[in-house]
Amino acid sequence: MTDIKQHSPAPQPASLHGRVFTPHSAADLAEAIELAFDYRGDVTISVRTGEVICGYLFNREVSTGRSWVEVFPASHPDARRVYYDEVATIAFTGEDTANGKSWDAWVTKKESERKREAAEVTSQAQARGHL
Amino acid sequence: MAVPLSQMFTVTKYVLTQKLKGVKRYPLVLMLEPLFRCNLACAGCGKIQYPDHVLDKRLTPEQCWGAAEECGAPIVSIPGGEPLIHPEMATIVKGLIAQRRYVYLCTNAILLERKLDEYPPSKFLTFSVHMDGLRDEHDLAVCRDGVYDVAVRAIKAALQRGHRVTTNTTLFDDANPERVRQFFDEMMALGVEGMMISPGYSYQKAPDQQHFLKRERTRELFSRILGKPKPGWQFNQSPLFLDFLMGRREYQCTPWGNPTYNVFGWQKPCYLLQEGYAKTFRELIETTAWNDYGTERNEKCADCMVHCGYEASAVEDTFGTLSGFSRTVKLTLSPTSR
Repeated sequence: MTDIKQHSPAPQPASLHGRVFTPHSAADLAEAIELAFDYRGDVTISVRTGEVICGYLFNREVSTGRSWVEVFPASHPDARRVYYDEVATIAFTGEDTANGKSWDAWVTKKESERKREAAEVTSQAQARGHL
Repeated sequence: MAVPLSQMFTVTKYVLTQKLKGVKRYPLVLMLEPLFRCNLACAGCGKIQYPDHVLDKRLTPEQCWGAAEECGAPIVSIPGGEPLIHPEMATIVKGLIAQRRYVYLCTNAILLERKLDEYPPSKFLTFSVHMDGLRDEHDLAVCRDGVYDVAVRAIKAALQRGHRVTTNTTLFDDANPERVRQFFDEMMALGVEGMMISPGYSYQKAPDQQHFLKRERTRELFSRILGKPKPGWQFNQSPLFLDFLMGRREYQCTPWGNPTYNVFGWQKPCYLLQEGYAKTFRELIETTAWNDYGTERNEKCADCMVHCGYEASAVEDTFGTLSGFSRTVKLTLSPTSR
């Protein structure tokens, strides 16, 4: 069974898209990383060395040693590990792909809007050769 | 009988072997997600909400075979994304069959008819076609008109070629029990081997009382659907899991029963929750805080009655208790005695 639909009528939280977090404490950093971990879009991590990594943050591990995150960079196939203590800022730069995509949001849309969106998805799938 | 005897025997032998070895946590079904890309965009589907560069990632056949070997589950379910988009899917399936695993390829069937030539019929391969109800309900659920008819055509074509075909259906609280029963009639009339059903997973932060009512509503819905089952209905899943959905048995979740492997790694703790990823199956088993999950243990799990957590619990009940074993035998031999 492939689908996990969020049929919850609860209001969806506002998207973090566009926000930039500059943590000033370990607690701030941990909170920002948790938000990035739950975010369904790319983030941009500025590392203290000056390097900038843009990609999807898919994993993190908090340990008594050096805690880390793992990112799939948008421009490179291999995952990249970044340690918590290297992170200067985290910006939510990529589109939030989950925003407004709940089942509830879908059924409350106008019929014409649903048809337009469905046609768009169909056309994108056709362009990729997936139909 | 919905599940072939050879498959029942394989699963029975596997479970008894694990028990004799004293293995406390063993997997039954590997949930293998070789890609997240889909050719549908069902509203609310959490599996496809990723940036394009993530949706474009694919597990290689070697990664898929390695994951199956590593965890050792006798059954491999391949959801996604839409597996038939993967250009090497037939190779992946062939390799899993060579390992003598029973493969359930979960598909929306849009590409199925076109791809059938790539898959020789085998007792080890089942096309599990996603059908969320009769035409109106299904097309609404997948957010595209016409998909139900395409899927029905593909089911007929696959059956005609001698393939094993089942359906998989996710039901939510708004399902109409009478329409679902008509849907079962329609699917069985097509000639499918069996049907798989599960409640959907929806999580929201809510007081415990609401969670309780939610589970109660799920039980009520499934009781109305599955009460007085028709003789022709066959379900390709544990009869005790169906009892559980109807509120006739109580289970705790078995999240390690259906471990999930995808482009991120081994998903902690289960198919539905994403709390992190392990590099190996062993790491998944050894480092996941399993006691933190399950009904009454975790708010995210409070409403969940989904197959990937509880079907393994039902199988454990079959092999772990006399009442579970006798009830399974009774319902397998006489499904209408429910």
